[in-house]
Amino acid sequence: MSNAFDFPGGIYPPERKQRSNQSALIEAPLPSRVTLPLQQHSGQPATPCVAQGDTVKVGSVIAKREGMVSSALHASISGTVGEVSTTQISIDGDGQDAWLRLPPLEWQYAEPHALLERLNESGIVGLGGAGFPAHIKARVVERHTIDTLVINAAECEPYITADDLTLRHYANEVLEGAQITAKLCGAQHIVIGIEDNKPEAIDALKQALTNSQPVPVELTVIATRYPSGGERQLIKKLLDLNVPSGGLPADVGVLCHNPGTLLAILHAVRDGQPLVSRTVTLTGEAITQPGNRWVRLGTSVRELLEQTGLNTSELHQVIQGGPMMGTPLLTLDTPVTKLTNCLIAATLEELPPPPAESPCIRCGECESVCPVALLPQQLHWYARAQDDAKLERYHLFDCIECGACSYVCPSHIPLVVDYREAKSRIRLQRIEATKAEHAKHRFEFRQARLAREEAEKQARKQARQAQQRRPSNTAATNSEKVDLRGLRIAHAAAKASVKKAEKTLARVAQEDPKQSLDDLEMQLATAQENLKAAELQLAQAREQQSSEESS
Amino acid sequence: MNSTIDIIGILSAVAVLTGLGIGFGALLGVVSERFKREDNPLVEQIDALLPQTQCGQCGYPGCRPYAEAINQGDALNKCPPGGEATIHALADLLGRAPEPLDGEAQSEAKVAFIREAECIGCTKCIQACPVDAIIGAAKLMHTVIEDECTGCDLCLDPCPVDCIDMLPRSAPLTQWQPVVARTSNMIASDRQPASGVS
Repeated sequence: MSNAFDFPGGIYPPERKQRSNQSALIEAPLPSRVTLPLQQHSGQPATPCVAQGDTVKVGSVIAKREGMVSSALHASISGTVGEVSTTQISIDGDGQDAWLRLPPLEWQYAEPHALLERLNESGIVGLGGAGFPAHIKARVVERHTIDTLVINAAECEPYITADDLTLRHYANEVLEGAQITAKLCGAQHIVIGIEDNKPEAIDALKQALTNSQPVPVELTVIATRYPSGGERQLIKKLLDLNVPSGGLPADVGVLCHNPGTLLAILHAVRDGQPLVSRTVTLTGEAITQPGNRWVRLGTSVRELLEQTGLNTSELHQVIQGGPMMGTPLLTLDTPVTKLTNCLIAATLEELPPPPAESPCIRCGECESVCPVALLPQQLHWYARAQDDAKLERYHLFDCIECGACSYVCPSHIPLVVDYREAKSRIRLQRIEATKAEHAKHRFEFRQARLAREEAEKQARKQARQAQQRRPSNTAATNSEKVDLRGLRIAHAAAKASVKKAEKTLARVAQEDPKQSLDDLEMQLATAQENLKAAELQLAQAREQQSSEESS
Repeated sequence: MNSTIDIIGILSAVAVLTGLGIGFGALLGVVSERFKREDNPLVEQIDALLPQTQCGQCGYPGCRPYAEAINQGDALNKCPPGGEATIHALADLLGRAPEPLDGEAQSEAKVAFIREAECIGCTKCIQACPVDAIIGAAKLMHTVIEDECTGCDLCLDPCPVDCIDMLPRSAPLTQWQPVVARTSNMIASDRQPASGVS
């Protein structure tokens, strides 16, 4: 591979994949009880649509999509609904495993609209880790032209072998899922990116490639290096395209999907089976039967690990996700979600706690391994100083939180923890700023409304006075000098601001039809109220002047 | 001979420069009249830094009037909802010395909540709300739209039956902030003896 097709930085941590990729992918035993959190995807949490005591089958919808970026949730076992809280739904199983499937679709002949609706009602989200709803991702074609579909099978994080095993067992199915997605987004090419440490999966893919129709599929084997599975890094490596900062792969005509997601898409379309289970890598030195399992969503982590021979005395910590980007679980009584790709039950010797943090010595190691070519040490200083303006100028939001900088840091500084904290702090500040701006507009609207009401009151009063005056013909004129010119200018200004608000509204509505326009609509209403008030005042002043002249 | 040329040269130079001066002066004058701004851009900038709760705790009826007053030279420290952060931002913008906050800083974001069973439907709070965040009608129950409420307290005083409480604003999961326990930054050589003793 040439150097031009390469991303900067990267590290070579010990892979430790042998422990979980030796045994075949099998079904985990059916759990007797599942707990399904309402938020298993990015965006808004789902809204429950079942009540306690309801009978559900596998695949029954138990929570509906809420808002634009959200995903439906389905029962993963059959039985009765136990508890419905604001954050999760639990189901007590009846052991029947009775399914409720949707009618199968022939994807070659189905309308794109029907396929999209199927993805939506099947609750499919990206299974690689981010959990972005697949139906929203497929609708990217409404605004972008997609040329290439990339299958991200790099799986660069140590320990994890879920995609590897999925491809070994279901290479044909994954490619069929890719064909469905390519049809939906109009991609002309499909490129598979896979690291060279998965020879069995590569062989399976090579065999499946030949009979994949109709979009041609290309297999690119890349050298093993962390984090080549990052979306931007993989696109750079496979296609030599740079995704712009703050942009999406769709901006360069690429869509990226994980093999697990493609398999789930095929199951949803071909078999009418919603997303109720996923492959999870169970590994670590503290379990005796490591491997990959098909696990029903909502299965307790403790139950799952105990079935694979958990050695409680040896166990130091359980990490959900990979050792680089995953999070240690505080309790084992948490469920497997759509985002759980790996559970590492690690012993103390295997993943020891990091040594105490020392001050930064400015060695620059972090800078040379950063795959996004950021300046991690500068970000570290600014994050600790909470200097948000500098953080944004140093592109904090381009950080993919891969953890390469923390891995090489000789002072053992948890750099990524700092960045995550700073990111969520800045995000909250942005939310607060929008909220303040919104309150300001509402306040302005109220002021304008009060001014209009006042002007109307004045107009009514004047009309009443005029009526009284005409029959009696008394010259009870107002001695106040009318500033007609000033009022005319105010009226013209109000008219101009209404036009400006209308223009802005129309422009924004055209640029981004999905954006919420409430705030702009309110600004327009404010301008209109102001105009009305100015009109009334002007009319009133003119009348007053004419009555003065006539008298 | 040379002196006449010099005088002409001097006079022409003076004339050209005077002409340029008058020309550009007139241009500036015309432009400043033509593109005159009624509003003060500095007031806009000050207003953008204020928290927009429209609470009136500064003594002015809303954030914008206070921004105008600050521009006229009023103190920076009259905004309790903004707290120290706002004072520092204003001091940075205006090049003034920051002053300690006049009043008590708010510990957390709050919103008004009407105990609906006790509400008599007098509409007094609706009239007091600066952002139209209370809905209801005469002799009918009122309620607060939580997302729109700025927590300004202005509805508390007009309520004749004291049925309005200020409650902490509910924080959705999407706004969750990680809690990071920071260890003190000690250099390694200082740390070693302590652990060696124990």
